[in-house]
Amino acid sequence: METATYTIIGGDYDCGGTASKCLKELLKKIGVDAHAVRRTMIAAYEAEMNVVIHANKGKMKVAVDPTQVDVIVADEGPGIPSIEMAMREGFSTAPAIARNLGFGAGMGLPNIQRNTDRFSIQSALGEGTQVRFTILLKPEDLSAAAANSVYVEAGRCRQCLACLRACPTAAVRVREGEPSILDHLCVDCTSCIAACEADALTLRLDAALPSPCEETLLVLPASFLEQFGGDVRPQQVLDVLADMGFRNTRLTEEWEDALRKAVCDYAAESGRAHPVLSPMCPAVVNLIQVRFPSLMEQVAPFRTPIEAAYEELTVPRAIHAAASKETQLCFVPVCPSQHSLLRLQRLLTKVELVSPAALVNSVRAPLSAQDRCLPRKNVIAMENQGVLQVSGMRHVMKVLDAVENGMMEDYAVLELYACDQGCFGSPVWGEDPFVARARWDRVSGPTVSGAQPFRRTAPLRGRAGVRLDADMRKAMDKLAKLDATTKSLPGRNCGVCGAPTCAALAEDIVMGRADISACAYRNANGAASEKRPCP
Amino acid sequence: MKVSELAERVGARVLTPATDSVEVVRVYASDRISDLLNEVTDGTLLVTNLSNSTLVRLIQLMDVASVCLLNGAEPEEPIIAAAQEHGAALMVSPVGMYETCGRLYRAFGGERP
Repeated sequence: METATYTIIGGDYDCGGTASKCLKELLKKIGVDAHAVRRTMIAAYEAEMNVVIHANKGKMKVAVDPTQVDVIVADEGPGIPSIEMAMREGFSTAPAIARNLGFGAGMGLPNIQRNTDRFSIQSALGEGTQVRFTILLKPEDLSAAAANSVYVEAGRCRQCLACLRACPTAAVRVREGEPSILDHLCVDCTSCIAACEADALTLRLDAALPSPCEETLLVLPASFLEQFGGDVRPQQVLDVLADMGFRNTRLTEEWEDALRKAVCDYAAESGRAHPVLSPMCPAVVNLIQVRFPSLMEQVAPFRTPIEAAYEELTVPRAIHAAASKETQLCFVPVCPSQHSLLRLQRLLTKVELVSPAALVNSVRAPLSAQDRCLPRKNVIAMENQGVLQVSGMRHVMKVLDAVENGMMEDYAVLELYACDQGCFGSPVWGEDPFVARARWDRVSGPTVSGAQPFRRTAPLRGRAGVRLDADMRKAMDKLAKLDATTKSLPGRNCGVCGAPTCAALAEDIVMGRADISACAYRNANGAASEKRPCP
Repeated sequence: MKVSELAERVGARVLTPATDSVEVVRVYASDRISDLLNEVTDGTLLVTNLSNSTLVRLIQLMDVASVCLLNGAEPEEPIIAAAQEHGAALMVSPVGMYETCGRLYRAFGGERP
């Protein structure tokens, strides 16, 4: 990996572009292909000139390896009052001198977003702005980023078909003795993992814990602290973690509270259509993209708390950390959807991913040696500020259906979680979600931290999901074939063919993922008329 | 079409040597940097009024193939130097943006190149 830091001087229009020029030379020496160089240059030059035009000084930090170019451009400038406005094409606050030079068309930030694979921006008034972008050099990384994070351990599958019935989007198939997952339908919730009693479906995370150093920061879900029974106070768990070397911890709840407040403010703005859907749970955001695209505009324009935590904790470290000082950030993803968001590592802001189950195990032993305290007193739970929380995939699907039918307008904000009781219901935990959540609510108050919500800059895009073909005519042909095929199947949804329903098998047949001979019932009763050779 | 041939049809003066190797398949005209950045390809002739340090950067950073400046304005030395260093063909049209684009349009047979 190559890294470099370039200085940018505000107001110096003659030198504006020198950092980008140095970056270009670096990329050429490494042998990055011409198209990727051009894309990087568009983004880097626009970001650099933003610093020249608007700020006093700034720097460009770059890391390159064969898979990606990762860039952060940070300035000490006035900050951006409204990122939403700044991202709007044609909006500009550039002075006349910049406009005369061909800048200030209000296209800079949208241009960076358009030419990069990942883009984010953070800004604090009076402090400065950080623009970061990543360009992937290998196309396969893009498809890997789109793939889900449910891992299949085929050897363990007992073919009980529980996962088949549990999946809310009919994304699971069990064929030839092993489960497989259709990426285009999977929303990275935990339904199949929770349903699987053979542990054939899991979250694949290295069981070995990272060895903490002085600067290590561990980012935890609150649900972790409630996995050790009602007589263990959360502080005891944190103390044990500190003894293990994880002295610095933050709870993801801080960013959840920040998002909740931001979404409530957003919902209270005049003229806002209700209900506003809160992007709290990444699996629910995925579900909306796949199954409820008509509701995408109702999702508040923020990133999920886990993304906000990642940006807020990693980017300043990447900019300010002295190269000699070792810093380490550890995240504990509790579900596939969080894992997917953290999995594609970016060079400048790498994080360690810690297995929640392994962390529970390593904390449990030292905890059991400690004194247990008396059961806790009841403390009045925090007010929910009029937010309707719904958890569990089955309920979430019903509520989203109701939203689509315009039946939920009496609620301002909906906060939907794929798992029961939110992250407390992740199958990685042992404690019952209702019990653990209730205990946590007894002791937790509103978090007081500087955690910031993180604005979404690109609109949500629908995923292919249930669409049969990108070409509408072909899709209609397939639909006709699908209807005919569905009618020819028994309609008993037995699951023996490996698809959750007869309709799902019919779709698999039309899409070339299965053959009609997979239907056991049809083989038994219709084999003579079909003259199908026995398998 | 070769840059030299195109320059002749438009009446533009070519300022860089070895322009026969540069082929133009499409033309893009704008005075906004963000637009120009997005439209650079190996076969694109950029038509622009920008004749300053920004154009120097554009040539250096984007490997621009060819540029047509306007109104007969002689570009400053750094622009010519940047064009030579990066193998970009540079020409100056004697007329403004509107008429230059009209001539280029005709040169490509009235078809959108």
